[in-house]
Amino acid sequence: MTSSELSRMESTLADTTDLGVWDLPVRGMHWLLVIGIGVCWWTGLHNELEYHLYSGYAILWIVLMRLYWGLVGSSTARFANFVRGPKAILDYASTLHWRDTPHTHGHNALGAVSIVLMVGLVLAVVILGLFAVDVDGLYSGPLSSYVTFRQGRHLAHLHYYWFTILLWVIALHLAAVIFYFIYKRQNLVTPMISGKRPSNAGDAEMKIAPLWRFAVGGVIATALVWAVSIGFNF
Amino acid sequence: MFALGFRCVAAAVCVAFGLAVLESVAGPAEVAQIKSRQDKFRDMGGALKAISDELKKRTIDWDNTVLPNAQTIKDRSGYLLNWFPKGSGPESGAKTYGLPALWQNNDDFVTLGKVAQVEAAKLNQVAISKDANALKAQVEAMGKACKACHDSYRSPDYAKENDD
Repeated sequence: MTSSELSRMESTLADTTDLGVWDLPVRGMHWLLVIGIGVCWWTGLHNELEYHLYSGYAILWIVLMRLYWGLVGSSTARFANFVRGPKAILDYASTLHWRDTPHTHGHNALGAVSIVLMVGLVLAVVILGLFAVDVDGLYSGPLSSYVTFRQGRHLAHLHYYWFTILLWVIALHLAAVIFYFIYKRQNLVTPMISGKRPSNAGDAEMKIAPLWRFAVGGVIATALVWAVSIGFNF
Repeated sequence: MFALGFRCVAAAVCVAFGLAVLESVAGPAEVAQIKSRQDKFRDMGGALKAISDELKKRTIDWDNTVLPNAQTIKDRSGYLLNWFPKGSGPESGAKTYGLPALWQNNDDFVTLGKVAQVEAAKLNQVAISKDANALKAQVEAMGKACKACHDSYRSPDYAKENDD
């Protein structure tokens, strides 16, 4: 076997090798957020506000951690590496109908818009919930003492209203995943479970951030959520 | 003959339409009743919130906050069973979150209302005693009494719409 044949085989093998795309914290936060939003939705609809509060705190922790990981996390998690300007978004959108586009390493320019929108909406809904007033006085948000009864009720309705908007954005996200699977034959779900996806030639490996950095952020986020949960009444 | 028949039919349609409008539009008494009870419940909710907010603070302002608000809840709750006369439900056409079940299962509603009155009286007693732990427990008991009625006899639409 000649050296050129060997190098061709190597490159073929490299083409089929799985490449790390999502680290453990990103995958964990993604699926915990799915569960958290599901629990918040059910408990909110069924007036189980005690558990609604707990799941709300969990979501607040996840969103804070996602923002933190977007600044100091692994390369594909960082906002600086996937948030793009209008031109890049429009350029990507104009190729959306192409069936044989390569798998983007991390979020594509359009997907980044939906990620920023979802994280922003989840944070907005959680913040509104922190100030929301429960008419029965049992499970008002921990910061509701900073607003009047009327203001708190208004914020409770906004909490509900913006959650319904979030549901539509989540529906769009799911529709996009299905579109990629059926039309572009790209499976986006498996990589979010395994962390790996089939590589394209020339793809750069993800730069993984150390887990201790996640743990440091976790301690800070936990302290912040605890402070919020007691309404900053130390 | 044809003209007379037409007039009769037209008149009958007008009367039927008029009756339908009368049926669907709330009378001023029902509208006032519903608005009044919504205002009073909002006062009670605000009073219970004011007491709950005090419990989160380092020192409780008993005289200026807890006592007057506990008194408001007790006074208002004394009359709450009078705020739901027949005809002041959704059938009045006026905006109300009171479910028809409130009038259909009126005995149960009255029982729950009386429980709320007892809890409100206890809340007032606890406020007078100025016992913080007892107040915390009683605020929870009061809230549960409110919730029991809301869970059964208030429309879930209440959560979706702005009740201002």
